[in-house]
Amino acid sequence: MPEKTNDKTIYSLLEVTKSIQKTLSERYASAFWVKAEMNKLNHYPLSGHCYPDLIEKKNGKIIAEIRSTLWKDDYVRINNLFLKVLKEPLKNGISILLSAKIMYDPVYGISLRILEIDPSFTMGELEREKQATIEMLKQEGIYHSNRSLKISLLPKKIAIISVGTSKGYLDFMKIIEGNEFGYKFFHMLFPALLQGEKAVESITAQLQRINQVKEHFDVVAIVRGGGGETGLTCYNHYRLAREIALFSIPVITGIGHSTNETVAEMIAFKNAITPTDLADFLIQKFNQFSLPVLKCQNLVADKARQVLKEEKLKLYNNVRYFRSVTGSILIKNNAEIKGRQNSLLQSSAFLIRKEREIQKSFLTRLTKTVSLFFCDIKATIKLSKTKLSDRTINFIHIENVKVNHLEKNVRMMNPENVLKRGYSINIANGKAVKSILQIKDGELLTIITADGKVVSKINIINQEET
Amino acid sequence: MNETPNYTAAFEELQMLVAEIEEGEISVDELSDKVKRAALLIKICRNKLTATEGDINKVLKELEASDDINDVLS
Repeated sequence: MPEKTNDKTIYSLLEVTKSIQKTLSERYASAFWVKAEMNKLNHYPLSGHCYPDLIEKKNGKIIAEIRSTLWKDDYVRINNLFLKVLKEPLKNGISILLSAKIMYDPVYGISLRILEIDPSFTMGELEREKQATIEMLKQEGIYHSNRSLKISLLPKKIAIISVGTSKGYLDFMKIIEGNEFGYKFFHMLFPALLQGEKAVESITAQLQRINQVKEHFDVVAIVRGGGGETGLTCYNHYRLAREIALFSIPVITGIGHSTNETVAEMIAFKNAITPTDLADFLIQKFNQFSLPVLKCQNLVADKARQVLKEEKLKLYNNVRYFRSVTGSILIKNNAEIKGRQNSLLQSSAFLIRKEREIQKSFLTRLTKTVSLFFCDIKATIKLSKTKLSDRTINFIHIENVKVNHLEKNVRMMNPENVLKRGYSINIANGKAVKSILQIKDGELLTIITADGKVVSKINIINQEET
Repeated sequence: MNETPNYTAAFEELQMLVAEIEEGEISVDELSDKVKRAALLIKICRNKLTATEGDINKVLKELEASDDINDVLS
């Protein structure tokens, strides 16, 4: 009961708050539908209760705010409903249509007790937000920005935004690291939360980090998987979508879900439904590069072989032609040589014959001349012989006559004959005495006669007078 | 060209070379050189596919440096 002091009625705080509680419960007896933004869910895992902050904003400013309570059972029921309908849990920052009662507690004050939240309203709101994000990006002219970048011919340096232990990351790495073609990638993990309300901040921060070392990378891959289909509205968030759209190297996504595409996926350079598909996309890029290379290789080899074959054939034909030409030239020349040989033989035989005839005629002429000459000589000799014999005979005859005469003379002269005729030879001192002067008185004189010698001594010498 | 061309350059050169060979305007004299060059380019392209480039440590170092700057600024 209130105290009364002087002119003042004084209530205790409890009395006041109880009064408020009473008034309010009478005034707001039934539940009613309220449209509000759930700024914070404030879920306490230990108790399982939630104390969401509900606000209303106008031009970005909070114009109304009230606390609310969502008891554990209601929370679990509503959250399941949301997961089923929206693929999203109850979370901070969503617009909700809630059925609530006004509650007043003397200790905890005024709050709304949430009985029901209509997921279809939130879904519409989320869809509206998504469309708003798309609209804003389009208005800024950056909706196609990332998609119009040029991806490297070989996107081999990958900055991966993911969770190192997630199934999606492992699936992605399995293909990137162990691909059958032996392609090698350079990759680096930039860990980030990939779903739920904190994902926007986390992914954006990692994108900014990557941006600082972007020259080391060809592509950014946002890889998520194994986390179910929930908590993906973050990828519709304008700030994240804008970051991706404006990123200076291609951003590719493999977020792994089967429901509506998120804005981030729409504007990404390439979106694959699963991390595995995303990795295959990169492998495909390598193949796209590798196959033409292989094709080029085969083509170069084929063409080279073909050129060589053609040249070989050309050469072979030339050789054959050359051979046939030279062969026919040889045959021709051979025939010519043979012809010449024959004609040489013929003409030499002819020449020899001719020469022989000339020789023969010469010989005949020579024989004739010689025999003629010999005849002459013979005749001459004959004549000479005759002459010689005639003359000789004549000469001998003359000489004979001479000799006979001489012989007669000689015979007459012979001392024997002379001696016979009475003559004698006187020899004094060994010499025939021709003069008296040769002899002196007393000397011996040998007188030779025809039949002997007489030796006498000289007594008188009478000189004859004549 | 002693410097190893990057894969885009190598690929483009290879395609040019192949086009040239395809045109059939190639003589036997050039053939050997061209084929050698093509083989080299193919090898380069192949190597690019199967070689890892880049150094994680380098990236990390640069990241650390920029993180430090950000820490100082914030």
